[in-house]
Amino acid sequence: MSGQGPQLRELRQQIRVWRRGRADKRLVDALSDAYVAVFATAMLTSMAVSVVLNVRTVAGTCTTTPCTDARAALPWLTGLALVAGALAVAGLFGPMLVSPAVGSWLLSTPVDRTALLRPRLAGTGTVAFALAAVVAAGVSALSGFPVEAIAAYGGCVGAACLLAVGLAAVCQARRLRWLRLLTWVLAAAVWAGLVALTLDAVPAAAAATGTGWEVALVVAAVLAVATLVRAYADLARLGRDQLAPGGTLVPGLSGALAGLDFALVYDVLVERRWRARSTVRSVRGRGVGGSALAWREVVRLRRSPGVLVVLFAALVLPYLGDSLGLGRADLLLAAATGFLASLGLFSSLRVLSRTPSLVRCLPLTPAAVRSACLSVPSAVLLVWALATEPALQSAAGLAATDAVPLAVAVGVTAVAAVVRWVSGRPPDYQLPLVTSPMGAVPTSLYVSAARGFDVLVLGSAPLLLAPTSTGAAISIALDGIVLAVLLNRP
Amino acid sequence: MSRKKSPPPRLRVRGLTRRFGDVDVVKGLDLDLKAGAAVALVGRNGAGKSTVLRCVSAADVPTAGTVELDGVKVEERSPLTRRDMAVVMDDMDFFPDLSVVEHLDLFARAHAVPDAEAVVDAVLHEVRLVPQSGQLPGTLSSGQRRRLALASAFVRPRKLLVLDEPEARLDSAGLEWLVERLRREKADGLGILLASHDASLVEAVADSVLDLDQRS
Repeated sequence: MSGQGPQLRELRQQIRVWRRGRADKRLVDALSDAYVAVFATAMLTSMAVSVVLNVRTVAGTCTTTPCTDARAALPWLTGLALVAGALAVAGLFGPMLVSPAVGSWLLSTPVDRTALLRPRLAGTGTVAFALAAVVAAGVSALSGFPVEAIAAYGGCVGAACLLAVGLAAVCQARRLRWLRLLTWVLAAAVWAGLVALTLDAVPAAAAATGTGWEVALVVAAVLAVATLVRAYADLARLGRDQLAPGGTLVPGLSGALAGLDFALVYDVLVERRWRARSTVRSVRGRGVGGSALAWREVVRLRRSPGVLVVLFAALVLPYLGDSLGLGRADLLLAAATGFLASLGLFSSLRVLSRTPSLVRCLPLTPAAVRSACLSVPSAVLLVWALATEPALQSAAGLAATDAVPLAVAVGVTAVAAVVRWVSGRPPDYQLPLVTSPMGAVPTSLYVSAARGFDVLVLGSAPLLLAPTSTGAAISIALDGIVLAVLLNRP
Repeated sequence: MSRKKSPPPRLRVRGLTRRFGDVDVVKGLDLDLKAGAAVALVGRNGAGKSTVLRCVSAADVPTAGTVELDGVKVEERSPLTRRDMAVVMDDMDFFPDLSVVEHLDLFARAHAVPDAEAVVDAVLHEVRLVPQSGQLPGTLSSGQRRRLALASAFVRPRKLLVLDEPEARLDSAGLEWLVERLRREKADGLGILLASHDASLVEAVADSVLDLDQRS
């Protein structure tokens, strides 16, 4: 080390030496282990290219107004959604963060923090740009853009996401609060676009064509570079209290994702959200026994109206599916939308599922506790499902009275799928492990990834095969069996 | 002359064995606990104190042996067991979106406690969590979370208290309060089974001590 104090380069060099000293694998060994990933990537890429080529061929037959409107609006909606997503993810993690170890060991030393953070900002921006550009290019290819326009559009959306990351970094350094608002505004714009598509009211001027994206690319790139320059200059403002929270989130999320335990990801995010809120205005309970639990669900809904807003905003999707002519498949879309959009409603059931000690505090059977927690969210989801009835009726070509049982079946299927998802147990590493090219994995690992979706398919299958009252009755019966098993298990 | 049959002990444990793999963490444990008495489990880390408590509270299934509360077999799924046994273990977790007072209110109402609000307010005051009553559990200190866990056992009816290291993370004032509270619980006729590393707590509360190190 030099006499003027520790230099970041020297610290990095030291850490690199330590890490290399512990390496138990050569680069060639790692590469040979990675052949599965490389092979899978090549296969998936070739499949994606094949799909894009096929869809572009089929797109030539897209002549109805809803279909051409959807094609025209798709690039706009995708671009907005990607930028909103980039802002949301950047805001969630910081975007600037340091791992708990770096926070404890490096940030407490007099190293130049700007030098430490600069490569991280560049890396985050590069990842955001690359991911967004690839997705946007794929969407524009599906929309029938010419090859040059695909590159320009992809670059434009990538640059917009880079701009979003830069903005988020500036907001983080300057402790500005409007990033969240901007994210919601963009999400609302996407939703408004979907509503316009559903109502067949897309303005002709809004149609995204394959031309003019080069100018947008230049503008977005200039803005992104300017924002990043500002963000680089602001890195010195960042304190440990701003960098550490994102870093503490990463180990939990990455651990959960490594185990394909998406419910645990949900737990980590919910925990973080409420920790940030810190206090609430307490509301005393009502009722006794199970009804006291049910009343708490009402209080929860009043406390988290955003969950309800998201659920009812998602109503647009079944109607959009109908206007795009999905037919019976709209029933599956409605059930899947209800399932995914209502996950936030069932948070207490999730907490009780992962925490048996809480259930032990209550003088009710586990089934009674779960049923009480389920009552209010299920009722809300059933109301939501009934609100999809006109779309389902039109999609399945039924009379109004026949569509009501279908809507109820869609709601019950969504409830059963959510209960399966939230009451899932994490992968059990005590069970015998299965050898795989990626190492030993527990047998329950893959099941946990499909959890919820399996019940969704089970409950939707009778509706897709027979979109009648009989199909609805069979679907409800199957969902009832699933719910009975899930609620009564130890 | 007929002899009057004595009531069964509040808690009766017979031949309790818990095996993990080839290791018997607890083997053939017998234990009787009368109403109004306290038994303390002591021993080094890993001696099996928490395992005994988990088996007694039916949070874990013993390899062999029986556990009875007032002559009735303890079962984790039974509402009777949950009604009569208040358990505070180290794995106690909370709803992230309910405040301190809402947790206690929920437990009291779920147990159909008459005048739940007054009971909750009294316990909240006793555990010195009134200033934190509107706070969410994720923002409490570890000591405050411990107080909340203990409070959850005191806002509800109970015949047996099962406590795993209740003194953990409590300050000295909190420890004094805990001793006083547990003595009152005993005086009210409750049975207390606790595991502890704190000699002063054990001495002040326990009527008998079971040293799990001596058994192994």
